[in-house]
Amino acid sequence: MNKNILTFKRTAISAALMAALCSVHADETDADMAQMIKPVSSISIGVGNWSGDRPQLGIYDGMRDGGIYGLFDADIVSRDDLTGTWLKLDVRNLGIDNREVRGDYIRQGNYGGFFEFNRITRDNPYTFTTGLQGIGTTDLTVGTSLGSFTQREVELGTTRELTRLGGFINLSPGLDLKIDFKNENKTGTRQWGWGSAALFSVEPLDSTTRQIEMILQYTGEQLQISGGYFGSMYDNHNLQVLEQLNGVTGGTSAQFNATTPLSLPLSNQAHQLFIDSGYTFTPTTRGTFKASYTRATQDEHLPSYDLAGANAPFVNAPSHLDGQIDTTVVQLGLNSRPMPKLSITANLRYNDINDKTPLAGYVGNNGTGVISVWNTPHSVKTTSGKLEANYRLPQNFSVIGGVDYSSQDRTYPTMGNVYVPFRSDLKETTYRLQLRRAFADALSGSLAYLHSSRDGSTYTDANGTPYANEINPIHIADRNRDKWRAAMDWEPLEKLSMQFRVEHSKDKYPDAGRPYGLKEGTAQLYGVDGSYAFSEDWKLSAWYTNDVTKAEQIGFRAASTGAADAVKNAHLKDVGDSLGINLRGKLSAKIDGGAGVDWYKTTSSYPQDLTLTGAGTDYPTGTTGPLPDIRNNLLRLKLDAKYAFDKNTDLRIDLIHERWHTDDWSWNFADGTPFTYYTGNITCTGCSLTPVPVVDGTTVTAKQTQKSNFIGLRYIYKFH
Amino acid sequence: MNALSKLFLMCLMSSALGIADYVRAADATPVTEAPAATVAPAATETPAATESPAVSTPATAESPATGAPLATASKPAPKDLVLTGDAKCTRCHDESDSPKVLSIGKTKHGTVADSRTPTCTNCHGESSAHESNPGGGKDRPLPDRYFAKNSPTSAEERTNACLACHQGGKHINWQMGVHANRDVTCTSCHQIHTAHDKVRDKRTQPEVCFSCHKEQRTQISKLSHHPIPEGKLACVSCHDVHGDNPKMMARGSVNETCFTCHMEKRGPFVHNHQPVTEDCSICHNPHGSNITNLLKARPPFLCQECHSHDSHPGQAAALPNAPSNSTSLMGSVARGCLNCHTNIHGGNSTVNSATAGRFRR
Repeated sequence: MNKNILTFKRTAISAALMAALCSVHADETDADMAQMIKPVSSISIGVGNWSGDRPQLGIYDGMRDGGIYGLFDADIVSRDDLTGTWLKLDVRNLGIDNREVRGDYIRQGNYGGFFEFNRITRDNPYTFTTGLQGIGTTDLTVGTSLGSFTQREVELGTTRELTRLGGFINLSPGLDLKIDFKNENKTGTRQWGWGSAALFSVEPLDSTTRQIEMILQYTGEQLQISGGYFGSMYDNHNLQVLEQLNGVTGGTSAQFNATTPLSLPLSNQAHQLFIDSGYTFTPTTRGTFKASYTRATQDEHLPSYDLAGANAPFVNAPSHLDGQIDTTVVQLGLNSRPMPKLSITANLRYNDINDKTPLAGYVGNNGTGVISVWNTPHSVKTTSGKLEANYRLPQNFSVIGGVDYSSQDRTYPTMGNVYVPFRSDLKETTYRLQLRRAFADALSGSLAYLHSSRDGSTYTDANGTPYANEINPIHIADRNRDKWRAAMDWEPLEKLSMQFRVEHSKDKYPDAGRPYGLKEGTAQLYGVDGSYAFSEDWKLSAWYTNDVTKAEQIGFRAASTGAADAVKNAHLKDVGDSLGINLRGKLSAKIDGGAGVDWYKTTSSYPQDLTLTGAGTDYPTGTTGPLPDIRNNLLRLKLDAKYAFDKNTDLRIDLIHERWHTDDWSWNFADGTPFTYYTGNITCTGCSLTPVPVVDGTTVTAKQTQKSNFIGLRYIYKFH
Repeated sequence: MNALSKLFLMCLMSSALGIADYVRAADATPVTEAPAATVAPAATETPAATESPAVSTPATAESPATGAPLATASKPAPKDLVLTGDAKCTRCHDESDSPKVLSIGKTKHGTVADSRTPTCTNCHGESSAHESNPGGGKDRPLPDRYFAKNSPTSAEERTNACLACHQGGKHINWQMGVHANRDVTCTSCHQIHTAHDKVRDKRTQPEVCFSCHKEQRTQISKLSHHPIPEGKLACVSCHDVHGDNPKMMARGSVNETCFTCHMEKRGPFVHNHQPVTEDCSICHNPHGSNITNLLKARPPFLCQECHSHDSHPGQAAALPNAPSNSTSLMGSVARGCLNCHTNIHGGNSTVNSATAGRFRR
């Protein structure tokens, strides 16, 4: 460097020139520095258009229908540096149905508050063509030959509107009080069933959920305690649904009559007190203790108790459940490093779900008083523990060994009919071993193996035929589980990183004289991720995953509708391939953007062997089996680009092309035509018309191929 | 240091030293036309600058480019840019660093009005060896606590740097959790120097979690899923990733967590469905499924994992050829078994019929 050039004489001219220059540059520098260290706000306004309907892909994003949508987002962040006071406003999706707003006012370290509004819509992807009357209300009427209704298209869906308020205050150093209140209204309609028969029905939703949490927490150097109250209240504004057969009255059988009452969830509440604490005994040893006690109750007047005729209650049934469940959780934890290379983690947990709901008869013989159906309280007491050791080996390796143990005491129904065998005790022991290598020399990885074994007490029998007691219910069945997991992260070049995953697990359910139920389940996953930085400005990332799950399931099918007694052996299989590619980069100083691909393909298959043990056909008359495969495919191509007019303003364009296809037959008949609910005679004992010629005929249509394109344009303004 | 920073420094120093003095300080080499401006005299000319109590910069520093000692004795003390006492670091680490360290000023950690906010060395350690740079250039020793993926700093030590302030509240049980015991550190997920920490935004959080949890990444793209890809829920909506609850649930159990949004399933009901009261994940896969309503298996297979009866519940899976009201033909199509057993999560009916106890009322 030529020193003479850079050397200034202390002259009036040079001083004035430098002062002037520096004044200008000081302003610019201040602005640049502010840009680096001050929070930035942005407002984005735009418009977008979907070229077609997206019933499946638009379930949750508020843009199910093709058309124009407003795009408005804002992220306003302001901070008063002198006081450390933040003011934030985060607005998302204001132009569409699932909009949300959150505002925060925080005097950092002292106090703060926030509010939030969040709307989540869920649009049912199917189109319903139905004559059902009263959708959205608690009084539904289905057509009959005495009066049928014109079929029209109906869309079902739910809306959640969450309002949340909260705040904190620092009471003294290390001591904070926090409050969080949520109020969520859920409204809309949900696909349902008639209950008495396979007819179309719709559940009306109108409920409010409230949750309040108050926490007092102390944070000291060695001791931390957090405790408080959590209350959750559910209030359903709909009590029960009455389904009517149009023009029909009477009925003497609760199986099916002119009015079918369907119960709804009733208002309930839970109150919880909790404490959570930790103490650091030494720099290498820490203990924790947490406990909670929860009382959940439901003691609403049972709406169907007031019904008369065929729907009248059993004479000795109570009008309230008087439901009460008390849950106690106590957990102790210890983490210690007794030697520099060895660390140990252990915990002991006690979880007692004590259902104190009194036992009462709800179905019985009004004449004799003999009860056949009781309510079904269920209690589970679980004691579990874990011990895990991690030993550090040379070369960044470590080996982890652990054992988990769980023991359950479970109640089972002692009164009335029982449909499934129960167990009173269940025990499970899990052993795990893992070899890990922390990142070094461009490589890290782990190889893990897990084995668990579950068994329990002898089963209490279910009522009914021997078949009912020849099954291992999946959640209490004896089970041996083996899992392998291998992971490797590799960065062969500064610009290239790769991840590899292989996972395999197998569950086996020993027969033990119970031949039916799930016999074996396997799952495996292969995944590879890669990322390559072409330059400081351009980066490509991609991933691919293949996942396969299988289940072997055996069951007994009793002769029915022409089909013979048979042993069924189903070989269920799901295969998925997923791919994601993303390229991001800078085209110039003013233009950056990216392109992406989301692709997945899944195939579900349901082969089923039938070994007939009696006379008859494989499948009942009127059905076709086994079930065909189902394939789902998604391809989404994305392109976005942003042009910076200047430091504060951008223009962004988004382009998306989406293709979705499924041959899911869930709402199809065997020949592929859309599913239609039954229209025809149903026996209605004692009704004014019997049998009742019901006219339902609701057709459910799934749009199996969906293609749509999106274009969105946004103007973005950024400021400090 | 880029041109902007140099200019910024030029202007700062021109104010403090005068224009000619800036030249000396910036170049650090005696110039012929200003013989008086040697290192030593300059130091004596501006003693106040080196003695400034506001910064802890050692008397000897080095040029970031060459590693050669600078004549800092002749310079005014570098000025803190963001954090109290950060000059020790920011005189070298500026906005051209990657990651951009100065961006911490945009975060809560950079809000110095809060007396609890740290300075660089609270997290990174005093790092004297790094600072004095005996090797220079690429051989410069790393800071005492270094948080990059290839750091020699142990996972425990990295995490402890954060826990020194953040052990309370939701992090009380961190050491007991699976993440801590698999060498996951705070900075494995959090970006401390960034205004927009990906993992603290529900729209971008899943991609952080998916960097390890590949299975869940495939599951949320399936036909039936929670609105995670749509940005309405995130992993922490259900999971307390800092805690040690079973399955790292946000609340004490799977059900207790599910009930925070699906409280209508909590009951207790007159007619409880036993698996529902115990664990929603017996029937549902909350991360996603190709079967509607997040079911793990399709009816009738799902129901037949527990139910074996001699009547219609044992039916073989098949599709009806035409509309039907027969329970023996309707177990696979439409809502499957739920076509009739519609209140499968529990019912409150007192109708004096066995159907009430079978979730048909």
